[in-house]
Amino acid sequence: MRIAAAMGLVGLAFIPLAGQAADDSVIERGRYLTRAADCYVCHTAEGGAAYAGGRPLKTPFGTIYGTNITPDDETGIGLYSEEDFYRALHAGEARDGHQLYPAMPYTTYRLLTREDTNAIYHYLMSLEPVEHEAPDSELNFPFNQRWGLVFWNLLFLESGSFEPNPERSETWNRGRYLATALGHCGECHTPRGFMGQTQEDKYLGGSNLGRIWPPDITPQALAERGWTPDKLASYLSLGLSRLGAANGEMFPAVIHGTRYLTDADLDALISYLLTGVETPKTPSETIASADPKQAEGDPAPARLTYMNLCSGCHRSNGEGIPHTIVPLTSNSTLRLEDPHNLIAVLLDGIPLQDFPGHARMQAMPGYAQQLDDSQMAELVNYLRTTWGGQPGDVSVDDVAELRRSEARSAE
Amino acid sequence: MSIATRPLALTINGQQHGPIEVPVELMMLDYLHEYANLTGTRFGCGQGMCRACTVIVDQDDGSSHEMRTCITGAHYFNGRRIRTVEGHAQRDEDGEVLALAPIQQSFLEHYSFQCSYCAPGFVNAATVLIERLQREPVARDQLEDTISDALNDHICRCTGYVRYLAAVRDTILSTPGLVKEA
Repeated sequence: MRIAAAMGLVGLAFIPLAGQAADDSVIERGRYLTRAADCYVCHTAEGGAAYAGGRPLKTPFGTIYGTNITPDDETGIGLYSEEDFYRALHAGEARDGHQLYPAMPYTTYRLLTREDTNAIYHYLMSLEPVEHEAPDSELNFPFNQRWGLVFWNLLFLESGSFEPNPERSETWNRGRYLATALGHCGECHTPRGFMGQTQEDKYLGGSNLGRIWPPDITPQALAERGWTPDKLASYLSLGLSRLGAANGEMFPAVIHGTRYLTDADLDALISYLLTGVETPKTPSETIASADPKQAEGDPAPARLTYMNLCSGCHRSNGEGIPHTIVPLTSNSTLRLEDPHNLIAVLLDGIPLQDFPGHARMQAMPGYAQQLDDSQMAELVNYLRTTWGGQPGDVSVDDVAELRRSEARSAE
Repeated sequence: MSIATRPLALTINGQQHGPIEVPVELMMLDYLHEYANLTGTRFGCGQGMCRACTVIVDQDDGSSHEMRTCITGAHYFNGRRIRTVEGHAQRDEDGEVLALAPIQQSFLEHYSFQCSYCAPGFVNAATVLIERLQREPVARDQLEDTISDALNDHICRCTGYVRYLAAVRDTILSTPGLVKEA
């Protein structure tokens, strides 16, 4: 693949520069790992300098701001040593000894090898220092008492490092390292307990963070929704696939993170995510449980709503428009048992998004104004039963609740 | 194979249309062109991006908003009241234009458009904005931003938007009651 080829070329270009070579190759490796670890998303404010911090992360305990990780002495990590940086990623301790909030996923990054944290460190240290003080966290009592994290860490910060599973292949173990340590998929996709800790017995089982809930991405759940290795490769490298386009928090995770993975790493990650799943030779793309075409007679109200408001883009047969509008016939969100994300998207819409390779998926309007709760519930059930293979069991109250929660968060 | 139809009745530019049997899958733009003989609404991108196909929907509470007719089914408008670009000018009993609406006149005077393909959408968007300002005037120092926000989604490939912005601003400033006194 092109990215892999480009990385190879970059590597070759540095070889003749003896002496300098080791440093530059470490920095280049650090750049790759920094992307694979998706540091950019939390440590870059909208419209702000890269890695200079300031992005708000809303948590149930209050708002935390991503810090400046450029090598500025005053406001960034300019005074950090390799060892300081390693401690921050492994023990959640800043250079001055204060405890980091676990929104910084040190409970996951602790699995990173020292070699990798060093490479990331040297890449970050090679950046231009940016003087920018990230805002202080705005947490409610008692969560604003950082010393309390000592006890939280006692409960939830495990010790030890990444241990490869000797019964699995090298590729699989690399994939597990990419998913767990670097990509920290579980930080969003694993449900959390009442103290904000990830529930490891439900690893990647889906959570309820934010407006769009990170879905269950355990191997069986992915396979049931139709995800195959080639579909996942397309989604993680381009943000697009027949099963849907990256949306919500996953969009920046793809754009700043997974798209940069080499072919080998992408294959490894996918082999881990689909552990134990037999890939059918001819994957079924459609879970058709009802025929959307009604040539004769008056259509049901939900079909008419679909024709009036959805079919202009998603087409009357749900096939969408290539490179512009996702198909619904094979859409992953329609196949989720919980209708939460489908309702949220129908209420709120999706902004216009630019994808790698000059692809662009156009904006989807929200229909909160056009459709009342009853019409929305009918439409959601129509979509679920027609293309999702899910029961039409969504109630008016389900829609009303999501409409209220959006109104609350907008206040 | 027969095409599924159902009756459609609506009000366009103050005139009752229908009830008439119309295909269930027909987009509103095609209804306007092929059934109502109103060809001023433009088919641009066909996927809801360019807004050349925008019409005005009038609500019972007196407010108005834009809808894109290339991606909205004709039957969505059943029982509703809409206005198209043909509905703005003053006309005599024979339908001949007596005077353009102020915003239309202003677009001409500012040479806001060249090829005119986007103009019907801009006329409708600007009209919706002016009607909103009649209900909710804005402060003078927010006017430019308000116009930009309201018209931002409409695409013009000829004049670079500046002339549209100037024309809408002039019309708003010369119409009493749209801008709050400081």
